Amino acid sequence: MPSHDVLIIGAGLAGQRAALAAAEAGATVAIMSKVHPVRSHSNAAAGGINAALNPEDSWESHAYDTVKGSDYLGDQDAIEIMCREAPDEILWLEHRGVTFHRNETGHLGTRAFGGASQARTYYVADITGQALLHVLYEQLMKHHAAIDRYEEWFVTSLLQDAGGHCVGAVARNIRDGAMETFTAKGTILASGGAGQAFKPTTNALICTGDGIAQAYRAGAPLMDMEMIQYHPTTLLENGFLITEGARGEGAQLFNKDGERFMEKYAPNKMELASRDVVSRAEQTEIDEGRGVGPDGQGILLDVTLVPKKRILEALREIVNIGRDFAGVDITREPITIRPGQHYIMGGVKTDVEGRTPIPGLYAAGEVACVSVHGGNRLGANSLLDTLIFGRRAGAHAAARADGMPMPAEPPASRVRDEEGWIASLLQRGPGSGRRVSEIKDELGEAMNRHCAVFRDEQGLSTCLDVVRRLQEEARSAYVDDRGTIFNQDVLGAIELGYMLDCAEATLLSALERRESRGAQFRTDYPERNDDEWLRHITVSLGASGRPELGYAPVTITSWQPEERKY
Amino acid sequence: MKVAYWPGCVSRGFTPELHGAMEKVAPLLDIELVELDRAACCGAGVIAEHSQELADTLNARTFALAQQTGEALMMNICSTCQGSMSECQERLDANAEYRMAINDNLRDEGLRYEKPVTNKNLAWVLVEEIGLDELAARVRRPLSGLKVGPFYGCYIVRPRERLGIDEERPRHTYLHRIIETLGGTVIDYAGQYKCCGFPIITMNKEASLRQAGRHLGDAVDAHADCLVTPCPLCHLNLDLQQPLAERVVGRELNLPVLHLPQLLGLALGLEPKELGLGRHVVKPTSVIDWSQSVVATATA
Amino acid sequence: MPSFTLKIRRYLPESGDAPFWQEFDVDLEGHRSVLEGILTAKAREDGSIGIRCSCRAAICGSCGVLINGRTRLACNTHLAEAVRESPEDGKIIVEPMNNMPVLKDLIVDMDAVHWKKIQRVTPWLLPEGPPPEREYVVPHENMVDVTQSMACIQCGACVSACLSMEVDPLFIGPAALAKAYRFVGDPRDGAQYERVKDLAEDPAGIYDCTHCFACIDACPKGVAPMSQIMRLRRVASRDHDIEDRNNGYRHEHAFVENIERNGLLHEADLLPDSYGGKLHPRAVPELIDSLPVVAKGLARRKITPGKALLHPHRRHYKDVRKLFKKVQAKDEPLELNLYIVGYEEEEEAAR
Repeated sequence: MPSHDVLIIGAGLAGQRAALAAAEAGATVAIMSKVHPVRSHSNAAAGGINAALNPEDSWESHAYDTVKGSDYLGDQDAIEIMCREAPDEILWLEHRGVTFHRNETGHLGTRAFGGASQARTYYVADITGQALLHVLYEQLMKHHAAIDRYEEWFVTSLLQDAGGHCVGAVARNIRDGAMETFTAKGTILASGGAGQAFKPTTNALICTGDGIAQAYRAGAPLMDMEMIQYHPTTLLENGFLITEGARGEGAQLFNKDGERFMEKYAPNKMELASRDVVSRAEQTEIDEGRGVGPDGQGILLDVTLVPKKRILEALREIVNIGRDFAGVDITREPITIRPGQHYIMGGVKTDVEGRTPIPGLYAAGEVACVSVHGGNRLGANSLLDTLIFGRRAGAHAAARADGMPMPAEPPASRVRDEEGWIASLLQRGPGSGRRVSEIKDELGEAMNRHCAVFRDEQGLSTCLDVVRRLQEEARSAYVDDRGTIFNQDVLGAIELGYMLDCAEATLLSALERRESRGAQFRTDYPERNDDEWLRHITVSLGASGRPELGYAPVTITSWQPEERKY
Repeated sequence: MKVAYWPGCVSRGFTPELHGAMEKVAPLLDIELVELDRAACCGAGVIAEHSQELADTLNARTFALAQQTGEALMMNICSTCQGSMSECQERLDANAEYRMAINDNLRDEGLRYEKPVTNKNLAWVLVEEIGLDELAARVRRPLSGLKVGPFYGCYIVRPRERLGIDEERPRHTYLHRIIETLGGTVIDYAGQYKCCGFPIITMNKEASLRQAGRHLGDAVDAHADCLVTPCPLCHLNLDLQQPLAERVVGRELNLPVLHLPQLLGLALGLEPKELGLGRHVVKPTSVIDWSQSVVATATA
Repeated sequence: MPSFTLKIRRYLPESGDAPFWQEFDVDLEGHRSVLEGILTAKAREDGSIGIRCSCRAAICGSCGVLINGRTRLACNTHLAEAVRESPEDGKIIVEPMNNMPVLKDLIVDMDAVHWKKIQRVTPWLLPEGPPPEREYVVPHENMVDVTQSMACIQCGACVSACLSMEVDPLFIGPAALAKAYRFVGDPRDGAQYERVKDLAEDPAGIYDCTHCFACIDACPKGVAPMSQIMRLRRVASRDHDIEDRNNGYRHEHAFVENIERNGLLHEADLLPDSYGGKLHPRAVPELIDSLPVVAKGLARRKITPGKALLHPHRRHYKDVRKLFKKVQAKDEPLELNLYIVGYEEEEEAAR
């Protein structure tokens, strides 16, 4: 039974950064992921990473942009930390080999991004997340003596001692189906978001809210779960992402009349207003009949306005995406896009050290809610969030572990119970209920219909009813694969449960917030209402086994809420 | 049809029968060969590895010589030349400044490469310029009953994009189509698009010969009477080195390997001897027997 | 909606059965991907089909498979395209990748081959001395150059397609060598000499590549691993004059000098010269080994003694010798990297 000072679940940027920080602090570390680390969804963050590194820029300006972008729901103490530590984090990455874009003088160059008052986005072509992820993995390989890697292991639940402290996790080796307990003094969840609860989504198939649900089931509160980001530029047909970098480089949006409609909605920042604003503008155009495409559900993104040489240098990947997934040469013609589910601002509530209210349990990255993104995340702040709070969580967990005794190994029955549960899933046959994949599709379509750019009470309630029914149906859903080696089918059944928990929390929070702020736009409550709703909504698993809503204050340091204009 | 003809090095070196066969076959196809006798080696990728500028200069020079002949089409009979030259041409054609700098190297000789040049391997010329119908009309001795395995090698099929291979021009199928047009039976086998191993013969002889030996063995197992290749370097590893390859793979192979013009020549009515078939290391007995039996049937 | 037939090679290790073929019909638009086809079959018919996948957009590198015999990512291969290339009347043949052991269905053991080789090349930056206070100042072009290797998503497609590895499993291979170039070409790395020396001396290193272009065609991200291997060779031989024990350096130089001398290749000299010259101790056993071949070549008049001694065409090539001198005298030979500069004239035409 492996035991470590720090166990990290998830090996995207937050997890890998946490592992490196914990190892650097002298802790023994295990990092575990259900996929090989370089397959993690951090790959998809294409455009870049924000930092006020230029002497003319300031972290305060970055922080203000982030606060404003969050529609004042972000916690300003956390935002200050993130923005203040950003420049050093960029240099740390650069020194480890990230091939950041250089300007003519050989210094780090930047590009413009949405919602930012300065060009402060550092980047590697349009593969920034991938470049970062692979460089961190290089470092994991370098530090293999201090960091044990468990690649293709699937966590089924968190371990808690009698006092409720988190002391590790139970996991299944996907390669051979063996279950094992991993004890740890500290456990860091870094397992990403839950975009797969929506269909379509820009998120990878692995983004199934595992960590969010595991923490929730262990008793940790979730926060800001209603804040779901719809990215303004996803492919009409399949929801794949076209990076905001395209607009950062000068691409523009047009409706079916050829009108550059952002002039109406954000006359100053135009296409580079914050994402919630641009997505809402697009959806309004579509809803009012000015969309393009067969059903008028699309908007045109014109990348041909960017010089071709610059496209090849800085936007090579979206040339491939356009070609392979839409059959469009974006260097020659506009591409049809629409707003699509992209990111969840909410997650497991943590403090600025990544601590959840459960002792020994940390969270960082998209799984967590610190909250630095509040109602709406700025583009190129997600990579930053993962790295800053991944590092802080890793360092804190290592320091906490120092001098602390290793928790006692859990009783063997703990693994047996879990094995029995999985065995019971495998025993269900076609007669027992619906297919897992059917339930998942219905969930995704319902969420995307009722819990998207525009919401109202009726739609949200309808959707909640659907989710509750699906939760019931999931209890009897069946799988085909009865094997132990790479049984992806049974993992899909477990993931479905995770997604349903996340969806329920999202819907409850969205119903509760009777105002419009950031990504949450309630057509029945179209105004922001600071008097009542300048506060976080939390969801916890109550003693009854039912979700319970709560509230948490928003931390305000320097920036009082103002009307938000771009 | 008149073409600026680039035979390459090996067709006049270790596989003289290739150049010889081409000269015999050309008139039967109404191809007039304007030989580029001053042109130098394409570099076979090795010179480019050493110095890109040198390789590009040598090939720009060959292109310039071809353009000097006034012929619109340049033809080669060596896949390696096709591949290496295409790679250089891609760079030369992509960038005017670079092309100027390379042309500057050629100034003393009074040569200059003007983009673009059309340089096609014999196989491409047959399908795209002459046409398979025309080729079929010229066949005097159909290769009926002869089972031929195409060995494309690397340089003429990869990379697809650079070599202009797409659905409109499926150049990776041309050998198949030529064999069929000549009346032969195509033998598909595992190694037809694989590497003969020649480029590493001096670096990793064992691995090099194992590649040759495996592909030959696969073709033998598929009951090929012979292979045909558009690349004389492949021919070196598949034919000249076949006795050594047999040793590495531990089996008898004895599979004749023909150059493309030799196979054409047989179908166009030339005799094995005229085509230099006697010059191969692996005596093409199966092919010679076949042609004798064809002759016997015809006279019977 | 059109229907497509996927013919998938299944392998269920626990069944005790050999691999078998299974066909699935799926109704999808032709521009949807083969991965969507497989996932549709998995969702509707048989959840036990094993395939790694995640992003669906060719960035995570999970879903490398053979489609109609060619290594591709399932996610960026269109169904309609795959049908057109099908060798078996319209069925799309899907198999696990080559050169790696199969664990289940379309899932191969990347750890046993791919990742082991990646680790072989010391895959992390080895900077010289402490880092600068701010960023390293390095030329823009260098960063774009190594970003080509950085674009690698570690999908293993090139490993699967590698024809050298097929006969020599020890070959470090295209992915790992491209990864090595990512450091060798990075001005921030302080171990360039050690890296290329190591890879030149390893019998399974940079000189074990046969230059077959298979990796270039297989790579879904334009990394062109073989081109990176050629760059490694250039750094080893030109920048560091590493005379490796695999004859890589000698072969290259013998070839170049051979052409400089003769204009056309004089094969009879190349072989011995690649081993260091006819009388070099390394050359002697090689030549003896080749004697039966040489004897046969002579007997068939393939190689004539006269030709073996003196190249017949040499006299035509005075101008070429001058050209060699001119180009080789330059301190900084020209190099055009199309990945960095792109195709400028095409752009003019397009605008």
